[in-house]
Amino acid sequence: MADLFFGGIDVGSLSTEAVIINSEEQVLAEVVLITGVNGSEAAQKALNQALELAELAQSQIAALTSTGYGRASVPFATGKTTEISCHGVGAHHLFPSTGTVIDVGGQDSKVIQIDDRGHMLDFSMNDKCAAGTGRFLEVMADRLELELDELSNPAYITGPSTPISSTCTVFAESEVISLLAKDTPREQIVNGLQRSIVNRIWSMVVSIGIHGEVTITGGVAKNQGLIKVLEEKLGQKLNVPKNPQTVGALGAALIAKRHHSDSTST
Amino acid sequence: MYPFDAIVYLQRDDHYKRSDLEQRAQIDAMSINDTKDKVLKIPDRSDYLRDQRRSGQEIMGVLPALYPRELLWAFNILPAEIWDPPGEILLANVHLQASICPIVKRGLEFILKSPEIINSGYLFPHTCDSLQNLGTQVKDLIGVPVPVYTFYNPKGEFNKASKRYYSEILFNLQKTLEKSHGLLSQNQLKAACELGHKIDIRRQMLHAALMEDRFDLSNREYFQLIRAAEYMQGQDYLDLLNHVEINEQIGVAPRARLLVTGILPPGDDILNFLDESRVRIVSEDLLSGSRRIPIVEMDQPDDPMEYLVERFFLLPPCSTKAGGLDKRLQYLKKLIAKSRCHGVLFNTVKFCEPELFDQHFLIKSMKVMGLPVLNLETELQPGLSGQEKTRIEAFLEMLDEGVPV
Ligand SMILES: Nc1ncnc2c1ncn2[C@@H]1O[C@H](COP(=O)(O)OP(=O)(O)OP(=O)(O)O)[C@@H](O)[C@H]1O
Ligand code: SF4
Ligand SMILES: [Mg+2]
Repeated sequence: MADLFFGGIDVGSLSTEAVIINSEEQVLAEVVLITGVNGSEAAQKALNQALELAELAQSQIAALTSTGYGRASVPFATGKTTEISCHGVGAHHLFPSTGTVIDVGGQDSKVIQIDDRGHMLDFSMNDKCAAGTGRFLEVMADRLELELDELSNPAYITGPSTPISSTCTVFAESEVISLLAKDTPREQIVNGLQRSIVNRIWSMVVSIGIHGEVTITGGVAKNQGLIKVLEEKLGQKLNVPKNPQTVGALGAALIAKRHHSDSTST
Repeated sequence: MYPFDAIVYLQRDDHYKRSDLEQRAQIDAMSINDTKDKVLKIPDRSDYLRDQRRSGQEIMGVLPALYPRELLWAFNILPAEIWDPPGEILLANVHLQASICPIVKRGLEFILKSPEIINSGYLFPHTCDSLQNLGTQVKDLIGVPVPVYTFYNPKGEFNKASKRYYSEILFNLQKTLEKSHGLLSQNQLKAACELGHKIDIRRQMLHAALMEDRFDLSNREYFQLIRAAEYMQGQDYLDLLNHVEINEQIGVAPRARLLVTGILPPGDDILNFLDESRVRIVSEDLLSGSRRIPIVEMDQPDDPMEYLVERFFLLPPCSTKAGGLDKRLQYLKKLIAKSRCHGVLFNTVKFCEPELFDQHFLIKSMKVMGLPVLNLETELQPGLSGQEKTRIEAFLEMLDEGVPV
């Protein structure tokens, strides 16, 4: 019997990912693109690139689940699931002892508690504002004229830090402007910003509680300075996936596979 | 005499008296069957009030939440409750600090526009400090062209002193209204109480039917029906309630059963979304809803004043009455068990101080019971944001995994 393939597409507010797996749940291809203004175009483009990498045709994909902010705008998806469930399933697949998942994306951050099957037991999500999300760090990086990679430098975390009292992105930006005007060293401000965003994430962690191993997903997991502060605060090491941005799409592909086998077995 | 000790009702095996309610449902169904048509016509709030006003009706603007509607009816005053008037908040922001709940802001915005509909004054019950302060501001600082009345409900546990106090404030309100409306006859008050009693019984019956999946209204229609009490004449409202058919048969099992608690029901867009997702709200513990109907079926009003006092102390536990958190939890547990809900939706009004005070404890206790909880914070704005949709969908996915079949 021919092997079956499954897809997951995560249309996030900033980035769109596609993942293709086979029936052994091995990842054959993963792609990360900027979402831009048109979510459905980004989804199609990401899928095309993933298909090319996996050397497959779209018709060979038995089932595909869409997820993320733009999950409803993926016309070729056979199902849709929220990114909250998908990050849980994806994190469980990569690190089976995970009990808590922290997903920090561009616009949203979530803390998810999962059981030993990867099923969601509880979750918490930031409210409307961008405080505690990747967007906050992007705005600050712009203001500090730093690339995101530089801002993420873990070396800054060990030095002195200037506390940033506002969690609100707009107020924090004004704070940064006045600190720069007072010639406060940039690395000191960065250290303060990383700690401020971690405090924000922390309040969500506390509302859910820490259960078992903690896995961090989403683009902000690439920020090594932030990981360091968060680990300090948690008092435990975090599981950091090799490609944290594609965990949601991976979870979506795994869910597509599950739904497909459910529907064919009944 | 009623079981005034608040503990007593928690130990009863039934919330309302089921056998009585069912019997009455049958009698009611027989007597109103011929007038019943399938579509429930709920009049639009503004249209209804404008029509009332045009016909010369006196209308009083009443702020949330607990007030003696029967007393106003007896004076032939129609209470028009002001919870969440739509529109932008502009004028009110000049008078209020940013961290005031949207009900107070919207209430003040409404009042500042001096709506023509309100010709009989405003009544400010003491629901929370914010509303009490608003009452003072409107009366003493802002000034409006109609009288402003305050009504300081008792707080805390029921006891002899609080009963005496409540009798006094009822009597004072009566005396105040008599100055402008003439003496109130006992018969008028009794008739108003009898009407209120009928409405209460029908409401209890509908809530019991909701918990048992015994009618066909959508979530949205159900809450439209409940909220029509905020502006309709008692008799019109009773007629409307009587039009709702209670099915003998239990309806199709929904995807998930939810209990909603908070101040107001979720907005229409959220209710529609729940309807589309085949989710049923099977019980409500809302300040604007069931927290304003007695927990047991009361006897026919004999002495109307005594009836009103007893009724007040038979209302369910509520954060705005500060009656003990544990009692509220016990009460909610009872609703949870009776409605067999799979999860609880906290529909939280932003900055609502009384509710937020209770919330952490309640959410934690429910999670300990293994009951999934979704907390949606609302500023009473219309619409359904992407984030709200994600939260609700994720919650439903969580319930899908765990809902025992
Ligand atoms: N190389 C990097 N170093 C540091 N941070 C990065 C890097 N790349 C991305 N990020 C962070 O990741 C964020 C985007 O995360 P992600 O791609 O998970 O978002 P998204 O899924 O589109 O958003 P959401 O889930 O909120 O809809 C950016 O805002 C940025 O802060
Ligand atoms: S929502 Fe809360 S704070 Fe606002 S008026 Fe109602 S009880 Fe008071
Ligand atoms: Mg994302």
